[in-house]
Amino acid sequence: MIISNIMNCKRYNSYGIFRISVGVCLFLATLGNTACNKIDDVFSQRLATEETNWKTLEDGKANLMSVYGLLRSATVADNSHWLMGDLRQGDFTITNRADMKAIVNGQLNASYPVINRITNWRRFYAGINAASLFIERSSEILAHDPRYTQLNNDVDIAQARILRAFAYFYMTRIWGDVPLLTSSHDGDFIQSPRTSQERVLAFCTSEILEAAKVVPFRYGGTDPIMPGLYYGENWPSWNGNVFTRLSAYIILAHIAAWQGNYVDAAIYSKFVLDNRSTQYFVDGANPLDYIDMNALTENQNNYSPFAFKRATVMVGFPFEAGNGLATANGHIEQLILASPFIPKAVPEMFVSKDSIIKIFTDPNDLRFSRDLATNRYRTNYFYGFESERPIFNKVKVIYPSNTSGDITLFASTMVFSRLEEITLLRAEALAVLGDTDEAIITLNTACAKRGINYSLANSPDLVKAIFDERRKELMGEGWRWYDIVRYNRIKKSDEVFAVKNDQEMTFREFEQAGGVYWPVSQDVISANPAIRQNPYWQ
Amino acid sequence: MIKNCTSLSFALLLSVIGSGSLYANTLAPMGSRSNYQSVLQDTAKSQSVASTDTIGQMLKSLQKFKTVKDTINIKDAKNVPNLSLQQVLKGNVAGLYVQEPNGEPGTEQSMILQGASGVMFNKKDIYALQPAVYLNGVPLVQDNPFAFDVQKYDYNRIGPATNLLTQIDVSNIQSIVVIKDPYELAKLGPNAVNGAIYITTKNARGGKQDISLNSYFGYATVPKVHTVNGVYENEFRRPFYQKYATQEQYDSYAPYLRDSTNTAYFGPSNWNDLYYQNTPTFGADLGITGGNDRANFRFFGSGTKNAGNADETNLNRYNIFFGINMAPFQWLTVSSNVNAVKMDRTRNRSLRDRFAEARYIPDLSSPLSPNADIYGTFLSENNKNVDKNTTTALNGNVSLSAKLNKLVITSSLIFDYNEGIRDYFTPSTLMDGVSYVSTYFGYNQRLIQSNTISYGLQLNPNNVIDLELGQVYQGDTYKYNYARAYRGPNDDVKLNLVEGNASLSSYLNTLAAGGFYVFRYLDKEVNNLFSLYASGKYRYKDVLSVSALIRRDGASNGQPDSRWVTSPAFNVKYNIVKDSDFLNQLSISGGWGRNVRVYMDDRYAAGPQYRSESGWFEEPTIPGYGPVLGINRPYESGFIGYGIKLPYAERMDLTLDGALANNRINVALSVYNRNDKNQLVGVSVPQETGYSVNYKSGMEVNNKGAEFMINGLVVNNQGGFSWNTGLNVGYNKNEVAALPDGLSELIIGDNKLQVGKSVGSYWLYNNVGIYNTEASVPSGRTFNGIPMSAGDPEWKDLNDDNRIDNNDKIFTGDRLPKIVGGWNNTLSYKKFDVNFNFIFAAGHKILNQYEATRYGFINREAGNDINSVKEVSSWQKFDNERVYPIYNPWSDVNAYRVDQDLFLEDGSYVKLRSLTLGYDFTNTSLFSKSSGARFRRVYLYATATNLLTLTKFSGVDPELVNYNGYYDGANLTIPRTFVLGFKLDL
Repeated sequence: MIISNIMNCKRYNSYGIFRISVGVCLFLATLGNTACNKIDDVFSQRLATEETNWKTLEDGKANLMSVYGLLRSATVADNSHWLMGDLRQGDFTITNRADMKAIVNGQLNASYPVINRITNWRRFYAGINAASLFIERSSEILAHDPRYTQLNNDVDIAQARILRAFAYFYMTRIWGDVPLLTSSHDGDFIQSPRTSQERVLAFCTSEILEAAKVVPFRYGGTDPIMPGLYYGENWPSWNGNVFTRLSAYIILAHIAAWQGNYVDAAIYSKFVLDNRSTQYFVDGANPLDYIDMNALTENQNNYSPFAFKRATVMVGFPFEAGNGLATANGHIEQLILASPFIPKAVPEMFVSKDSIIKIFTDPNDLRFSRDLATNRYRTNYFYGFESERPIFNKVKVIYPSNTSGDITLFASTMVFSRLEEITLLRAEALAVLGDTDEAIITLNTACAKRGINYSLANSPDLVKAIFDERRKELMGEGWRWYDIVRYNRIKKSDEVFAVKNDQEMTFREFEQAGGVYWPVSQDVISANPAIRQNPYWQ
Repeated sequence: MIKNCTSLSFALLLSVIGSGSLYANTLAPMGSRSNYQSVLQDTAKSQSVASTDTIGQMLKSLQKFKTVKDTINIKDAKNVPNLSLQQVLKGNVAGLYVQEPNGEPGTEQSMILQGASGVMFNKKDIYALQPAVYLNGVPLVQDNPFAFDVQKYDYNRIGPATNLLTQIDVSNIQSIVVIKDPYELAKLGPNAVNGAIYITTKNARGGKQDISLNSYFGYATVPKVHTVNGVYENEFRRPFYQKYATQEQYDSYAPYLRDSTNTAYFGPSNWNDLYYQNTPTFGADLGITGGNDRANFRFFGSGTKNAGNADETNLNRYNIFFGINMAPFQWLTVSSNVNAVKMDRTRNRSLRDRFAEARYIPDLSSPLSPNADIYGTFLSENNKNVDKNTTTALNGNVSLSAKLNKLVITSSLIFDYNEGIRDYFTPSTLMDGVSYVSTYFGYNQRLIQSNTISYGLQLNPNNVIDLELGQVYQGDTYKYNYARAYRGPNDDVKLNLVEGNASLSSYLNTLAAGGFYVFRYLDKEVNNLFSLYASGKYRYKDVLSVSALIRRDGASNGQPDSRWVTSPAFNVKYNIVKDSDFLNQLSISGGWGRNVRVYMDDRYAAGPQYRSESGWFEEPTIPGYGPVLGINRPYESGFIGYGIKLPYAERMDLTLDGALANNRINVALSVYNRNDKNQLVGVSVPQETGYSVNYKSGMEVNNKGAEFMINGLVVNNQGGFSWNTGLNVGYNKNEVAALPDGLSELIIGDNKLQVGKSVGSYWLYNNVGIYNTEASVPSGRTFNGIPMSAGDPEWKDLNDDNRIDNNDKIFTGDRLPKIVGGWNNTLSYKKFDVNFNFIFAAGHKILNQYEATRYGFINREAGNDINSVKEVSSWQKFDNERVYPIYNPWSDVNAYRVDQDLFLEDGSYVKLRSLTLGYDFTNTSLFSKSSGARFRRVYLYATATNLLTLTKFSGVDPELVNYNGYYDGANLTIPRTFVLGFKLDL
């Protein structure tokens, strides 16, 4: 009977009681004070706040790299770079996936989760917002960290501007008119309507032109624009990862070409090719050069733009296995590879035998032809040509950088542009501008290592020849649909390009109806009433 | 005597640290009472201790009215081999809905008390709805859902994912009280915002030494299944192909079903022989209590193996409890108890769970064979797995209390620490040549320091005032380290080894050649809470009592300008009748109280922030860019701004209690109204801002309902036939009362919230038939822009705009039942007794995703994703399977999409949950005292569980439904278990 015993004790030593009471009260009081500190001085260790961000050199690096990371995610999420670039009227046949079949059939508003996700442009605007925020806020670091120099900040902001412009350009290729937000409106959720494509692209061009004056040709090396290590790293560790002045001009050339402004496209692409030497055997990095078949399809170490981050990735976003970035989704390998490259019975898409024969007509083409030495079909692009489903295996970077393996985690870089690509764009511009001789030379420069050679004799329609070469060289790099659009804009053909509701349309009619562009996800429209659906998909 | 010396406040503090010691002495003589009263021994306290009311209006009435109220009939519950607390409570408390979505022992289960206070769209959300569980006054710390941040799939939390409320052995429980009273909940503070479950274990006490030994043994038995093979599947698919298939679609017929001579898929379907096993389940425990008035102790130890009937799943649990009370001086008591538990869980071998954990989906074009021989080779490969899931927990308290005249000062230290370890390895043979290893270590820790001063003031014998001041500091820490890794060098290396030689460049490099490809995650969160409160209670005789409380809570997880919140509560109780002829007792009580809700995530306190979040839907945990860990605004998870306040719950309750017929019938009726205000919800924002949502305060959810309890000793013949019955029914109505910014509706993914509708409402397309011919399709009718054609379902065009889209979705059906309850009966005749326990839930709907994916086999097999996984257990058919129309499964409208009411079914059920037959041998000649053995009680019983289910639901079991109301057929069945057991008290 503990309780009753205690309770029954009526008399205590009053001094003792006093002592204990005071002691307890003091104890309570002190505990109270320290506990308040424990409430107010607890800070999350899982994030950076307005108080902690934008203070150090490292903050600059982390925030800038995130802009790259967000845009990498935006372009490859759900493999959208390829689903949006390579499927529409493309060369691929879909085995099973109904959502991909819908894209091939031009049913871009079909009700599939993947289509709903890839038609939501939020992922690009995340990168755009991060870039705007960086442009607005990164200079705050200057006052806090003397290691962060004005030059460093200028170069960083210039990159953010190029990245933001790149995102807008990439989006206009997909959706046409998109809302143009040029500041972060941080914490303010404004509703912006679509801005005309012309205005968006004019913004992109002026932004990049200005930023291009600031960014160096090389980071962390001996480039006089920005000599010395960049964020403590040298050029070999930065090349392929970040946008250089050459990257800026490539994007400028593409914007101009997309606008049909081939005069500027020729000028910008010329700048790129003229300044190739800035990344050619300098500062200890592997050089920027045209790549041979081994580098293109067999992950040759010094040049392969897909398997490694190299100078050959002129505009692109690497996924380096060594940095824990190998993923299953976000690479074309997930769509095209199957046994014997990876343990998978059938690929999700392939190039049919008929298409291969139609596309690869040159018997000397090293990408695909019969090898006279062995009398076998070359397998660089297509494995098992004679089978029902040849495996398109041009890009195969299986963790960490193997060409085949058991693990279906891939590390291939999202390559937007490499030297062959920009060279072909220059050839295209020259051809359109009528400089046929220079165009052929440029075209042959691009395909010199593919075993083929163009001439007016074998290719009287030079523009077509250039686009045919792009189709072969850039197959599976997300270019096909945009090339078709540019080609048809040049050709202005009266042939039937598409059929909608049993109505035949020429390309011009198709483009005027808005058919070139994708519908935007209903989620985007629901969240912002100022956004109208693309008329073609209403 | 006790009444004289027991101040209410002193009782409160003791209740926190072990009220068992209080009651035990007064209970001791009750052993000799009649059978009826001994039932009460566990469930209620006798009138003599009524004034030691500690923990709520409900408990207080309970002590007065004996059998009615929200206590669990522990005695009956102890005869049922329940593993988790949720299982013990299921159907036994009015207003408590227990979801047991999986029959696998030790998996997570959910409890929702008096309706959901928030949304249930993600698994994370469910964590925020759980009531607090107090074990001897220790508010048990639960797993924090922040681990889901690094997960792609939320089927299971990373780590052992063991239900932490399986840690309590029901044999050691003295009482379980479910607290719903607004005043008492307010007094418990922010932890109890969703209600509280207060468990008191048997505890140390003085007096005669007491030893009890209990044990049971039994089997979880195999269910009856109708297995099928490829023939059945081909038959199932034929009509789709006959009706719609083109030659191309015929050509891509599922390869594994093409060749009818393939014995793997067309041979005998006897996988169930290996999948289901009669599995032993058993437990034994020993309790010893002893000591004297000034120092006493209790020891309890137990071991339990709880088995599922499928896939060799089980959980082994080892409990140790030690309690001690000392009174070194007459005015000072020291009490302490410690509860330790270790749980090892053997988890299922389902493909989905493994691929989801590994975040790796191999080629799924050849599913598991239904043939036992072939399935057996899969199982033997599975034997190379390492799958260790260990959870250990240690909790308890130390309490000092000094009684200084009318002043009582109490100081307690309360702690709970639990850690989970999971080591997992699966060989390359099971994942297309890639081995996988993951390791997890995580802990949850809670430390509480609490101090109270109470003062009892007796103005005169009729007017008593009790005052109390209290202060509580609570510190919670959650942490985990997790690594997953792929492609080890070979299947004998089941550990991620790193170079230990510091002189080498590859030192500790997890990516060094030949090793696994490792992804690592670390996370830690601290959440502190500080509270001060003052309460007072005035009593006038036994007629009226009025209580009031005011408290101030500060939470580190609140934003700096709003983390301190003051909240009041009060309660009035009036005894209308006492001991009239017919009514023995009638009282009415009402209360109002407010509880602050503390966020489980510390992100909201930080305001605008930057996180490393740059992945996408399929790859949510991209660490950065190049070698740099990037930081950016939380575009994916949503913007968090300033001005986020702490949410709070405001409760009101009115209860009418009565006892009649010589206290043999007890009735209680209560109504409640609860508003969960200021809640945070992600409001959709223009996608051009880059953010998915913006988190804003202002969602309010209202729950109102009524609860009815009746308990009666219908027949009572001393020594002859007796029948004791108890029924509880709870009705709940849930509705969204407000949304942030005065919005009237909000779409969140596939769900929608609308003011006036339940948070658990489904939002679905309304299927009204099929377009059989092209002519029957209204001209120009589209589904989300896709022209509809013959073979597509006819979805109702609600707004007559000829476009079926989000605007044509309807609110229909609710995920949570409107009515839950149970009916418990004990029949006894002489020394025999029979107990049977029914539980029921009604008024909710289930979305049958299992059938949606079965009928949508074209899309399921075309996409090689987590929904394409076909488990071996899917090679069966069910008795009451529904038949759905034959739509064109190739159509772009995705005819068998799950978000349509075609797959919505009534989820109501009644279950005979347990049946126990017992015999009391205590006074038989074998054990009677005259024979020399001094057994106080000898009881033998047999129990069967899960015997009967009445439901219209077409799936296996209406309980096996995920938190979001989706039935996916992937969870293991709840076994029918038979056990035989004995209870010995010495």
